[in-house]
Amino acid sequence: MTIPVKIEHLFKTYTRRRLLGKNWEKPVLKDVSLTLEENHVLGLVGESGCGKSTLCKVLLGIEKPTSGLVTANGKDVARLSKSEFKKLRRVMQVVYQDPYSSLDPRMNVRQILSEPLDIHGLKKDRRERNEFLKELLASVGLSETQLERYPHEFSGGQRQRICIARALTLDPKILVADEPVSALDVSVQAQILNLLKEIKKSRRLSVLFVTHDFAVARFLCDDIAVMYRGRIVERAPAEDLFTRPQHPYTQALLSAVPSVRAAGLVPAAAEPSREYPERENWACPFAARCSHAQPACADTPFELKEVLPHHACACCVLPFKKTKSKPEV
Amino acid sequence: MINDRIVKRIYTNKTSLFGLVIVAFFFLVALLAPVLAPVQNPNNPYQLPQKSYQIAPQPPSAQNWFGTTEQQYDLYYGVVWGTRLAFKIGVTVTFFAFLIGLLVGGAAAYFGGKTDELLMRLTDVVFAVPSLVLAMVIAAMLGPDIKNMMIALTAVAWPSYARLVRGDILSVKQRDYVTAARTLGARGPRVLLRHILPNAIYPSVVVASLDIGYVVLTAASLSFLGLGAQPGTADWGQLIAMARNWVLGTPGHPFAYWYTVAAPGGAIFMFVLGWNLLGDAFRDILDPRQA
Repeated sequence: MTIPVKIEHLFKTYTRRRLLGKNWEKPVLKDVSLTLEENHVLGLVGESGCGKSTLCKVLLGIEKPTSGLVTANGKDVARLSKSEFKKLRRVMQVVYQDPYSSLDPRMNVRQILSEPLDIHGLKKDRRERNEFLKELLASVGLSETQLERYPHEFSGGQRQRICIARALTLDPKILVADEPVSALDVSVQAQILNLLKEIKKSRRLSVLFVTHDFAVARFLCDDIAVMYRGRIVERAPAEDLFTRPQHPYTQALLSAVPSVRAAGLVPAAAEPSREYPERENWACPFAARCSHAQPACADTPFELKEVLPHHACACCVLPFKKTKSKPEV
Repeated sequence: MINDRIVKRIYTNKTSLFGLVIVAFFFLVALLAPVLAPVQNPNNPYQLPQKSYQIAPQPPSAQNWFGTTEQQYDLYYGVVWGTRLAFKIGVTVTFFAFLIGLLVGGAAAYFGGKTDELLMRLTDVVFAVPSLVLAMVIAAMLGPDIKNMMIALTAVAWPSYARLVRGDILSVKQRDYVTAARTLGARGPRVLLRHILPNAIYPSVVVASLDIGYVVLTAASLSFLGLGAQPGTADWGQLIAMARNWVLGTPGHPFAYWYTVAAPGGAIFMFVLGWNLLGDAFRDILDPRQA
């Protein structure tokens, strides 16, 4: 059996050629390794700009990796022939963040859902296709009467249902969900999350779920990887991560989640100690904002180590003293 | 279904209906020109009939409904056949400018990099010179003739389309539905034709409809300056050029020869107005969000 998604030592640097002077370079992903297990939901959590979406693009083959290996369904995504690439589309599909920009405003639902079938030459018989589209719409909670409508006639939640339906037309095994609910209303978020959970179960999908919302991740994910500035800083089974967060950044994120019950964690980034002012170029990417920073953070090579069973963390000052006092409000 | 929408849109908006009526009226006049003003010179229908060689214009009469201009050219005939010429100039110039702009802008956006840089700097060069001045230079170099004038107008009109098309393609290219089509397995041509162009082109279509009026206005300026139609041609700009000596009237009677500019000037004004209003209507119609 092939592992749905395996990413090893992936680097991605965006470069822009300049006419004069040095080329502009921006490293976005640094040494990222991840595995998505069959029928699992892997959550990828991190703040804006940390490289989550870039990772998705590389995985989908829209961007080429600078170095490293990305395999989907056992195939190297960066080195596929055109026909293999097209074949992979049927295995791996994507749902985007913004349901307003991910549907072509000039196509009605029937056209949107028929396009993948047309591209791959499937379900050519008219009646068969109609039946298929009807069932597909029903499976995402829409009715066939909405087939002839245009995207602007739908609400955000309904649009996201159409996007999910489009991703499912080719009956994929892997679904990449790039913040699929972050643009939606909280009440609608819950509906879409339930839908995703249900679909994942009924279709036995393996899902890479990108989010910046821990509550969402906790609801849906089996495993969670936390990203910071292009690196994975902590990776653990979901429950483990929430009960025993190890990395100061994860702790900071968790403590920032609004909750009726206080988490009992002091935000690690709330007050970076002033002892070491120049921390921008330290080996640890989080050092500049970390209140646990030590001189060791400056030159200990960055490494994701297993600190608990199945639980990897990339903090070099572990185990540090955990503050259990409640944060002062 | 789209036709229903267009009809509904135009009827619900008074000003766009007004624009449509004006343009439709001019179109009818252009179409029925041989009926409204029977051709005098079968070899060249755009040749104005000349009653005599008397210099001073004559006011409107039963024989010359809009009066005559300098050297007794009939203004009515000029305005009617000028309408046909205006459509010819406006539509042809806009069509070719749009086509060139689409190709240049499309190539720049599609290939990017050095091609983009090269093509866009070229458009910048054309843009940098005031368009009327550049059109005058080109028209003067090619010699005064309607065809040359149309070439000159096309040469200055295409850069705005190139820029618009390039910008819109680049913006549409970034949208998620284009990436989504790619991840569904769609290849370049399909993405370009089904998703990028239909969504990127309509701002240019709106500009084109506004431009038809503007092109006719610029053509009139060139004719007025003697760089377009020859004297005696049924061209609105030329009619106004022939009124040049009479616009100021006689001492004490500034409006003595008002009719020399009234009919051709009014025609130009209404023509440009009509296309402008219609352009606004197109903008609304072509936006799928406004059903």
